[in-house]
Amino acid sequence: MPSMTHIQHLTIPDEPVALYLHVPFCRSICTYCAFNTYADSDDLYQPYIDALCMELKILGQSRPNTQLKTIFFGGGTPSVLTPQQFEQIFEAINRAFETSLLVETTLESNPNDLSEPYLRDLRAVGFDRISIGVQSANQSELDLYGRRHNFDEAVSSFAAARRAGFDNINLDLIYGAPDQPLSAWETTLTRVLDLNPEHFSLYNLELKGGTDITKRVETGTLPSPDDDLAADMYDLATDMLGQHDYDQYEISNWSKPGRQSEHNLQYWRNLPYLGLGPGAHGFANGIRYTVVRLPKRYIDRLTSPEKQYAYPHTPATAKAVPVDYATDMSETIMMGMRMLHEGINRERFLARFGVDMVDHFSEIIEKHRAYGLLAVDDQRVHLTQQGRFLSNAVIRDFI
Amino acid sequence: MTQSHIRNFSIIAHVDHGKSTLADRLLEQTETVADREMQAQLLDSMDLERERGVTIKASAVRMNYKARDGQTYVINLIDTPGHVDFTYEVSRALQACEGALLVVDASQGVEAQTLTNVYLALEQDLEIIPVVNKIDLPAAQPDEIAQELEDLIGIPAENILRISAKSGIGVSDVLEQVVRDVPPPSGDADGPARALVFDSHYDQYKGVIAYVRVIDGTLSKRDMMRLMATEAKFEPVEIGVFSPIMFPVEKLEAGEVGYVATGLKTIKECRVGDTITLATKGAEKPLPGYEQAKPMVFAGIYPTDNDDYHDLRDALEKLQLNDASLVYEPETSQALNFGFRVGFLGLFHMEIVQERLEREYDLDILATAPSVKYEVVKKDGSRIFIDSPAQLPDENAIDEIREPWMKIQIYTPQTYIGPIMDLVIKKRGEVVTTEYLDATRVIMHYRMPLAELIVDFYDRLKSITQGYASLDYQIDEYQTDDLVKLDVLVNNEPIDALAMIVHRDHAYHKGQKLVTKLKELIPRQMFAVPIQAAVGKRVISRANVKAMRKDVLAKCYGGDITRKKKLLEKQKKGKKRMKMVGSVEVPQEAFMALLSLDDDD
Ligand SMILES: Nc1nc2c(ncn2[C@@H]2O[C@H](COP(=O)(O)OP(=O)(O)OP(=O)(O)O)[C@@H](O)[C@H]2O)c(=O)[nH]1
Ligand code: SF4
Ligand SMILES: [Mg+2]
Repeated sequence: MPSMTHIQHLTIPDEPVALYLHVPFCRSICTYCAFNTYADSDDLYQPYIDALCMELKILGQSRPNTQLKTIFFGGGTPSVLTPQQFEQIFEAINRAFETSLLVETTLESNPNDLSEPYLRDLRAVGFDRISIGVQSANQSELDLYGRRHNFDEAVSSFAAARRAGFDNINLDLIYGAPDQPLSAWETTLTRVLDLNPEHFSLYNLELKGGTDITKRVETGTLPSPDDDLAADMYDLATDMLGQHDYDQYEISNWSKPGRQSEHNLQYWRNLPYLGLGPGAHGFANGIRYTVVRLPKRYIDRLTSPEKQYAYPHTPATAKAVPVDYATDMSETIMMGMRMLHEGINRERFLARFGVDMVDHFSEIIEKHRAYGLLAVDDQRVHLTQQGRFLSNAVIRDFI
Repeated sequence: MTQSHIRNFSIIAHVDHGKSTLADRLLEQTETVADREMQAQLLDSMDLERERGVTIKASAVRMNYKARDGQTYVINLIDTPGHVDFTYEVSRALQACEGALLVVDASQGVEAQTLTNVYLALEQDLEIIPVVNKIDLPAAQPDEIAQELEDLIGIPAENILRISAKSGIGVSDVLEQVVRDVPPPSGDADGPARALVFDSHYDQYKGVIAYVRVIDGTLSKRDMMRLMATEAKFEPVEIGVFSPIMFPVEKLEAGEVGYVATGLKTIKECRVGDTITLATKGAEKPLPGYEQAKPMVFAGIYPTDNDDYHDLRDALEKLQLNDASLVYEPETSQALNFGFRVGFLGLFHMEIVQERLEREYDLDILATAPSVKYEVVKKDGSRIFIDSPAQLPDENAIDEIREPWMKIQIYTPQTYIGPIMDLVIKKRGEVVTTEYLDATRVIMHYRMPLAELIVDFYDRLKSITQGYASLDYQIDEYQTDDLVKLDVLVNNEPIDALAMIVHRDHAYHKGQKLVTKLKELIPRQMFAVPIQAAVGKRVISRANVKAMRKDVLAKCYGGDITRKKKLLEKQKKGKKRMKMVGSVEVPQEAFMALLSLDDDD
């Protein structure tokens, strides 16, 4: 590993930024969930939105005329908010930022919330992409996950979204549950493929500490998920989605041509994004930062803030760390490797770090080429088909 | 300081009988250490000692004691370790003393190392002062234990002090008795200077620091000095006493204990056991010095990263100064490249050396499974000694393999005789006699191959006797047995560092267990890895580590990149503790797997 201890000035391109807004509320908490989200907090929705608008305002003041590339409402379950509340947020966004280059505005949602009128309102306030948490077509799995919808409801919400005019829809799916047979996963895939959405995000179920499902595995009331079987499921998904002309452009994301998630590409290209809302993460102006996690604290911090903050700091910033040269380089690789075709663009890498990635990491790259995990051409360094499964083994060597 | 007002003694005992705690009380009583600096087992100054609650190094400290006769005495105390693996530390400390304070736990009584240490003290002709400690414990039997001690060393039971080092009961009489009974040093105060180097350590600025006991004459700061065995001359950077931290003084006189900072940077020039004299008008004859400790077990120590070889060599050299029992020589292994074959006094010693190398010298190292020294008689009649299975000649060239056997004494309540007997027999041992200490306690005498003794025998003995048994052993003789080499092949390559020598009757069973264990320990690689155990050309067990299929991180939700990166970094750190053997990553534990093959499961 070459030594990269010296800190240089980062030459992060001055591109439009992605805007992530975290909505830390859900109607109920799923058994596998370790996100920063809270149930039974309806009374906080409005104060939270006021705080969020304040955070937007502060960022708009500390760096006027920032161009937005994408907007993404994640959570939590952003679809618990009303169209009026979104309207208020969008007004604040438009006041704080330039939106002439905006290409994508996404809402993460829960099928139960998606009535057709609601969806029409969402279109009207500015959303052009919706992500629906379908997770599975099998009731037993939905029960295990503690989801509050069944598959039929997910299908109707999808249809309603289409009717409301959403022509860019993502479906979230989970595989690798304890006890889940391969055939059950095949059923889910077959049934969601019938819907023909533009995009799929597939998540291997992770057992996060402190979640219900993890406790059940730990106490033995559920078997631990089988890694080999999860690999089989991943294989199956790759085959089936591929046959339906979905392009696997990232390790766990598939899309119809031209329908990649622009917002997520921003992360993977290690380009700037602002994170707002409790527990959000951001990377802007060469600084990685987090926002305080507790909604109450978040609201407090933003209730009468002082006047001046250095972008991207706000009164709700919990931690901010400037990214040095070496860290930036390893993060660029870590994220870039996830993009299976695009990989890491050598020219952009050279512009950003002043070295050619292939020279700089010749030994590591050679090793993984020999294993058949990495491919290199004039433009890029990227994982091979085989490398997709072992991306960690590859990335680890670079960091 | 005239010798009549000096007393030098060591505190000796079986492990955990309370030596260091008693030392604490004496330091307090003499106000050697300020109250606010006091902490339990103060002399256990190494982190490792504090964490494990066990003394590893002997440590000296000088105290001023105002005795009841109104006079002030300089008392040098050396706290010693009790663990059987560190007996060499004790024997060296004793040579710097005229007396030994023998501590015995009132609830445990005389145990194996109590006796070992008594014999060591008697060999040196030291005055032994027995004390019964921990009399505050509900299970204490001070009178019975005092009687045991009377039987052992002939001091009337009623004259034996009964104390609690923890609560302080009776402690004030201890130094009084030391002053009264331990003879003052009797060296030739005006003769040519002679000081025994009984320990040492390396200091970046002051070079080798020799811990000395001045026997004759005087060493003063301005003298040019000479080490008699190596002929190295030096002008001391500093001389001083242990207070217990190093405290500079102008001179050290006959009878005193202290240190000489030699300024020597070449470590080989100052050896423990050597005699320091003056460069001019020095002594003619050196002091007797020490016999080098005889290592019992040997293991390969390798840097996990081959580039650290030189650092490891430097570290071993420096550590040897502070651990005179350590011996090592360079070794190469096909699997592990360049490293060292290191000799240890026992498994605990091995563990401590490993940890000290990692902590004090910041190295990542890997140790192979310990082995004993075998004698191989070849078909051509020649004999060789080998301390690593890898050195074993080809099967066809071997006439017989001989291994060291040990004489073993187990001190135990008699209720455990049955289970101990079973254990010993399982380990190829044989019963010699059983001797009754009193109505309930016995000493069982056994013989057993050392190779079996080092493989978890002690732990199992402790567990079947609920900690009541203690153990001592001495080398007996070499003996022939039907021994074979068990080879391990990983990815079809024999791994020399995983080979072991076993009894033919155990080969099959051990081979299977080992393969199963390695299969669990070796993480999945990017390809399938076959593991085999073989005797000669015959494969007796095999298994496969399946290829890794999937090693992917989930999506970074909401751009939480730092956490993902930390996760990868953590995984990477875990990998660093692995050794690349050919193209397979093998974790450190795999090399130690050989040690736990006798589990009943
Ligand atoms: N109850 C009681 N406990 C004691 C007494 N003396 C020592 N101990 C405890 O016994 C344990 C061992 O004490 P140490 O002083 O470390 O024993 P040691 O002989 O120095 O042990 P090694 O150096 O490891 O051989 C500690 O937990 C002490 O607190 C005593 O008089 N009474
Ligand atoms: S909907 Fe999403 S954020 Fe909410 S509890 Fe379920 S998994 Fe967590
Ligand atoms: Mg001690």
